[in-house]
Amino acid sequence: MDLLINPVILYVGLAIGALGVLLALPRERVNPQLIGLILAAGGFGAVIIALALRGLDAAGLPNPHYYIFAPIAILSAIRVVTHQQPVYSALYFILTILASSALYLLMGAEFMAFALIIIYAGAILITYLFVIMLATQAPSETEVGALSPYDALAREPLWATIMGFAIVAVLTGMIAQGLPEIRPAGDETDQQMLLAELPGKVLDDLDAKRVFREMERPETEAIGDLYTIDAASRTMTLAVTPEAAGDLLERAEAEDRQIAKLLIGDGTTLADLRAASGAGGSVRLAVAPEVRVTNLDTVGWSLIAGHPLALEIAGVILLMAMLGAVVLARKQIEIGEDEKLARAAELGIHTGPTDQMDSVSGGGASS
Amino acid sequence: MTIASLAQDTIAAGMPLAELYHYLFVAGVLFGLGVIGFLARRNLIIMFLCTEMMFQAAGITLIAFSKYHFNPDGEVFVIFVLTIAAAEAALALALVVLLFRRKETLDASAWAMLKG
Repeated sequence: MDLLINPVILYVGLAIGALGVLLALPRERVNPQLIGLILAAGGFGAVIIALALRGLDAAGLPNPHYYIFAPIAILSAIRVVTHQQPVYSALYFILTILASSALYLLMGAEFMAFALIIIYAGAILITYLFVIMLATQAPSETEVGALSPYDALAREPLWATIMGFAIVAVLTGMIAQGLPEIRPAGDETDQQMLLAELPGKVLDDLDAKRVFREMERPETEAIGDLYTIDAASRTMTLAVTPEAAGDLLERAEAEDRQIAKLLIGDGTTLADLRAASGAGGSVRLAVAPEVRVTNLDTVGWSLIAGHPLALEIAGVILLMAMLGAVVLARKQIEIGEDEKLARAAELGIHTGPTDQMDSVSGGGASS
Repeated sequence: MTIASLAQDTIAAGMPLAELYHYLFVAGVLFGLGVIGFLARRNLIIMFLCTEMMFQAAGITLIAFSKYHFNPDGEVFVIFVLTIAAAEAALALALVVLLFRRKETLDASAWAMLKG
């Protein structure tokens, strides 16, 4: 049977890793964190090495940098779970984020990699750090750096580890079995077909090559009538005026090899162009090979054209979360009636009849 | 080798099955560690941090499959996962601050009476 990984190696490696995590979890008295870390590293490392050896046969090795960043991600994740100081846990989580964004980068998802660093490491984790500093008891004079009991002691470490690694073992084992039946749904050419929707990208490239030297650079909105891009044959058809075609022709015939290459590269001969310059028809330009649909193009197109409603809803969710956080974290101040009166007198507010007084105190209580 | 050329190689070649499994394994381990942390730690903030780690594992899986199938929807979904994670962090941390003000402790079992 053609398995991705020998299940025995997978399960034994995961079990050793589980044992390591179990040892490293905070507990009373003896706390063999270093031994636990080494054990866990050994267990997960064994699985990754087995995967690498298997990938060597199948020519399915990831980029070599994977073997740097994946261990960093896993080890710092173990430290998040096992470190006794919440601040260090949060800092190790930032390391996990950085390592996994490097994994994104290795997979070719550049936009998400940098968005992850900016949003997660830059915003969410900083919020966590603030709250950790906000919600920690100040150390007393006698015991500086003492741990709170709830940080120093894990709750049911044995059962938690067994549960967690049962989940991982089942997940990874089942995926290893079922994965070979999943075939990729598309290929590279599907992605390059998106080029037909991105006239601006092609026009920018032509602009950079000074193809529109004398002509006005066409607006991308006009793509429907004036320009069409055939993504399969990587050509762009431009409707041109006789003068513009004549200009292009002149430059192609004279010195400008770059333009000659673009023009004659795909299907357009000088004779065609000459005919076009006479009649005022259209010219076909080859799209330069360096104009490619990038990760940013596909993600942006899919986000805006494919999921506009979800994008709007995400905005509303963020707004509501912000309002909710403000309402929840607001400090409720209880003010007694006498204090309100004293405060009102202090501020020079007229304390006359009681009904007027009520409105003043009502305003004060909600602040 | 520059970063751009690294990424270009990956895109042009597509992702073999064995390579996909490498990334899925890391995601699986991160998820499991998140589960363990959520169950075993008693500090409310660390518990929420561990849920974020599970989000992270889901993100790696989504991106890996998105690259395997040449379908950008997986990557776009990670954007929404990030959005929800941000909203969740804001609300959860506001709640944690509120709970801390009530009892002056972050111990989750201090609120054990909520189980009724």
